[in-house]
Amino acid sequence: MLREIPWYLIPVIPFLLWGESALAQTRTVDPETGSVTWETQVHGVTLSLTQILPDQARAFYVNRGLPTTATESYAKSCVYMTVLRNDSAPGVVHFRLSDWSVVSTTGSQPPIGAATWLKRFEADELSQSARIAFRWAQFPPEQAYQPGGDWNQGMLSAGLPPDSEFDLIARLDVAGEPFEGVLKNVRCAK
Amino acid sequence: MFVVQNRRCQWVLLLTAWLVSPVLADLPPLTHGLTPITEPMDAPALRLTSLDDEIVDLASLRGQVVVVNFWATWCPPCRREMPSLEHLYQQAGDKGVTVLAVNVGEDEDTVFPFLGTVEPSPTFPILFDTDSSVLTQWRVRGLPTTFVVGPNGKLAYQAVGGREFNHPDLIDQLLQLLDK
Repeated sequence: MLREIPWYLIPVIPFLLWGESALAQTRTVDPETGSVTWETQVHGVTLSLTQILPDQARAFYVNRGLPTTATESYAKSCVYMTVLRNDSAPGVVHFRLSDWSVVSTTGSQPPIGAATWLKRFEADELSQSARIAFRWAQFPPEQAYQPGGDWNQGMLSAGLPPDSEFDLIARLDVAGEPFEGVLKNVRCAK
Repeated sequence: MFVVQNRRCQWVLLLTAWLVSPVLADLPPLTHGLTPITEPMDAPALRLTSLDDEIVDLASLRGQVVVVNFWATWCPPCRREMPSLEHLYQQAGDKGVTVLAVNVGEDEDTVFPFLGTVEPSPTFPILFDTDSSVLTQWRVRGLPTTFVVGPNGKLAYQAVGGREFNHPDLIDQLLQLLDK
């Protein structure tokens, strides 16, 4: 995608987009649960992460038949309710989760997707209904949002220990152009 | 009218409500836009068993506008939009618009008590895609996803994420398909 942009503009793009993202970022705390939400709205696209407390993740999946061992490792992996929405982007918003980065002091890697988790759970022999619930409650590994309100909400695992801090770089393709949305200083629930 | 059958189900519902409440609190209002499918293709096959234990076949609904909604009880946007699907069905059902709600991966014991919590409770067919094979055939990537099948059996619109299906503009959009 970067090849479609004139070479002389490439060095400038991260500064423009990153700066715009940082200015637009908000942080709110739910007074009842203490869960924190980080949100940014840039370029007609909204991205938000809301902490899912380990107890909430445990309860959700135990209730859907996931074995305790599987639930435990997932619940402690820094999970967020993630919303991505095409409010008024100039075209289709497309992403692949494998292109995103979780950047922390320990390094940079993509969020852990549903397929990776299900592979880790193989020894736990999940029932069909538990496997389906797990897969489809996760944020999609790839999606395209049309303008005018397409959106998804799903769970996203950053794959970090509780209380870690990181930046999320969400790499999107907006109307055929590469774009980065950044949420800075996001903290995992304890 | 559906009712919550037993105490265990009540606890499940209460727990579910607690789990989704913090997330629901900050959700944006549902929009009512449908995306036209620019190169209409035949809708994939859909033949599933309903909550009433009947086989429902999309192919037998030719001549109607069919709203095919993929959902699950644990999916917050699916829960939010369900009442609007019933309102749509009540307002446009006798004009040739029908709704098929395809539940993904759950069973009757889970879905039936949930429907009792929806106001108004759905009267359109609830279908069960227990192994998610239909979901895969329809190339759904996230829940909820909704397709509109025109009277000619071709895909006309789609919507990714929750919608307000009883919005007048959306209902007009669906009724116009009947005139084509």
